Amino acid sequence: MDLSLLPQALVSGVLASGLYALVSVGLALAIGVIGIVNFAHGEFFMVGAFLAYQLFVSFGFDPLLSLLIVAPALAVIGGVIYLSTIRFVLKAPELNQMLLTFGVGIILQNLALVIWGGDPRSIANVPYRSIGYQLGGVSVGMVPLGSFVISVALVAALYWTLARTPLGRAMRAVAQNRVGAGLVGLEVNRVYLVAFALSALLAGMGGVMIAVIQSPTPTVGLAFTLKAFAIVVLAGLGNVRGIVGASLLVAVAESIVATMVPGGDALRNAVFFAIIFLVLIWRSRKVA
Amino acid sequence: MKRIVIVLTAALLSLGLAQGVTIGVLAPLTGGAAGTGQALKAGVDLALAEINAAGGVLGQPLAIVLEDTKADAATGVAAFEKLMTEDGVEFIGGGYSSGVTLALVEPFRTFQPVVLWTGGAVSGIGIDGFDGIEELLGQEDWFFHVHPWDYQNTEASTAFQAYTGVQTVALLHEDSAFGGPGAVGAQALLEEAGMEVLLREAFKSTLSGGTGDFRAAISKAAATGAEMLYWIGYDSDVVPLTSQVRELGYRPQYIFGAPPGWPSEFDAAPEAQCVTGLIGFLPNMPNPEAKQFLDAYVAMHNSQPDNYFAAIGYAMLWAYADAINAAGSTDQAAVIAALEQGTFRSPMGEWGFGPSVQAKHQGFGAEMWNVFQFQNGVRELVWPVERATAPLISCN
Repeated sequence: MDLSLLPQALVSGVLASGLYALVSVGLALAIGVIGIVNFAHGEFFMVGAFLAYQLFVSFGFDPLLSLLIVAPALAVIGGVIYLSTIRFVLKAPELNQMLLTFGVGIILQNLALVIWGGDPRSIANVPYRSIGYQLGGVSVGMVPLGSFVISVALVAALYWTLARTPLGRAMRAVAQNRVGAGLVGLEVNRVYLVAFALSALLAGMGGVMIAVIQSPTPTVGLAFTLKAFAIVVLAGLGNVRGIVGASLLVAVAESIVATMVPGGDALRNAVFFAIIFLVLIWRSRKVA
Repeated sequence: MKRIVIVLTAALLSLGLAQGVTIGVLAPLTGGAAGTGQALKAGVDLALAEINAAGGVLGQPLAIVLEDTKADAATGVAAFEKLMTEDGVEFIGGGYSSGVTLALVEPFRTFQPVVLWTGGAVSGIGIDGFDGIEELLGQEDWFFHVHPWDYQNTEASTAFQAYTGVQTVALLHEDSAFGGPGAVGAQALLEEAGMEVLLREAFKSTLSGGTGDFRAAISKAAATGAEMLYWIGYDSDVVPLTSQVRELGYRPQYIFGAPPGWPSEFDAAPEAQCVTGLIGFLPNMPNPEAKQFLDAYVAMHNSQPDNYFAAIGYAMLWAYADAINAAGSTDQAAVIAALEQGTFRSPMGEWGFGPSVQAKHQGFGAEMWNVFQFQNGVRELVWPVERATAPLISCN
């Protein structure tokens, strides 16, 4: 074990946690406020990645600039999907809801396949993608740093919205008691619509960042959705506030094992899920 | 009565011939390896159009049934079984991914069609206690392996690495049936050639659930200070891996990658500069067959073939057409004999089947491979020297 690699592992883990939190917080919002487990969340992420790619190819937009277009576009796509599908199954059994979102995901994946093909795409000319700042033997990449800062800012903005604005209060009220919120005059369906659109927006912004880091493909969202589900479970279903801590814990643990253990990179997912299992067992023992 | 039977048999036989020959083709048309699968399809489509324009097979138009494996073992087995049971094909072509091919070993043995397989490069040669596709299927009369085996890929890579003069290598590989055995074989050959492998480290490919963060593996490679970074992974790993090598400040003399294909727009990316790779076919190859293939491909698809599986798929379908025509029937024994004895066309030049270490019918070998290098947005052939279009440059 080469301990000189530990600082790099810590930095890489902390920087990776930002994107994990951004993707997970959107999923937690959908579960916490609307009460729906959205299996199409990774596909919103994928659509965001492909839109950033397309804006680059068609107009030469830098991915950072394309955030300004992709974010509202994903909110609209999320809103349309909510109005055309999700709202009809809100009172249906959970299995029906899951199957519906799973179907929406498959449709989005296949639409991407028709439009962009299955070949990995890449935003060719990102002048800052390979830049790393060397600080005392540790490299801080411009892309992971930027992705971390943007993600943290977006998650903080979401927390502020939930805590300090009338919309956030409405979302929390609906999350706590759908019927009660309706009785006191809140337009529950409108709150759901906004929450779902916001959830898609956050996933899409994560997708823009991944379009810089790797090659968008129709299945690019899968790995991140899997991690997002695990983080949401770790934080507690629907607990938006717990997402940051959970993301930090798993991203840093993953990075340390990947760096310090021989062959550890291939164990990333194992580490991730081992933490989830341990936390779930600990929680169930605590309840018992 | 006897005459009626003869007439009916003749009628049925002529009906069979009138329906023409159908070849079932398996390829990952969707999923993470879709780039390679779509390239294979594009090559097959071109060959099919040319074969039918030239009179087809046994005087009838040749047909193909294309099934998507998604580079997933279970999907691949289901797709193969559909071809055999629902579509009733007698000939199978295509294929990609050693994992899918390993899952298909038993289904292949059950149905025993003629198989011209373009994927599944994994062999157990040099790996104790491991049987690869070569060991499992190599002695079957009906199995023909088109793509070089992994040790033949490695043999070509090692010859190139020896040519560069580097003494130390860090070897990173994706952790599935493609990269794992490939890396073991690569290490053995590199060491045999006198180079020192300072690190052999697995990573989780973006194709198999990785998030594209390879910094952990690259950090370990950088800490060794190896002169060459050699990685075995998939197309979708190219961008994150090459950019993170530079981001982490690792400056090896050479970066050598062995993915099945390269993302279409990668040529223009700044991190592509000086990266080298093994490739079976490049549009700027100088031989006349390559130029002819390129012109026809561009005319049909309005783009250049940027993945060598297009050339492999093209070669595979033409081999079937020529062999069945030479056999004069679809009789399996006759077609197998024609495949064993024939020489076939391909963008890489003439080829045929001969024995490899463990297999009776191996198509292309180490000689198929070239090394190219991204130089100012162009893929230049840099090795073998006699085919080179530009000299090899160092990354530092």
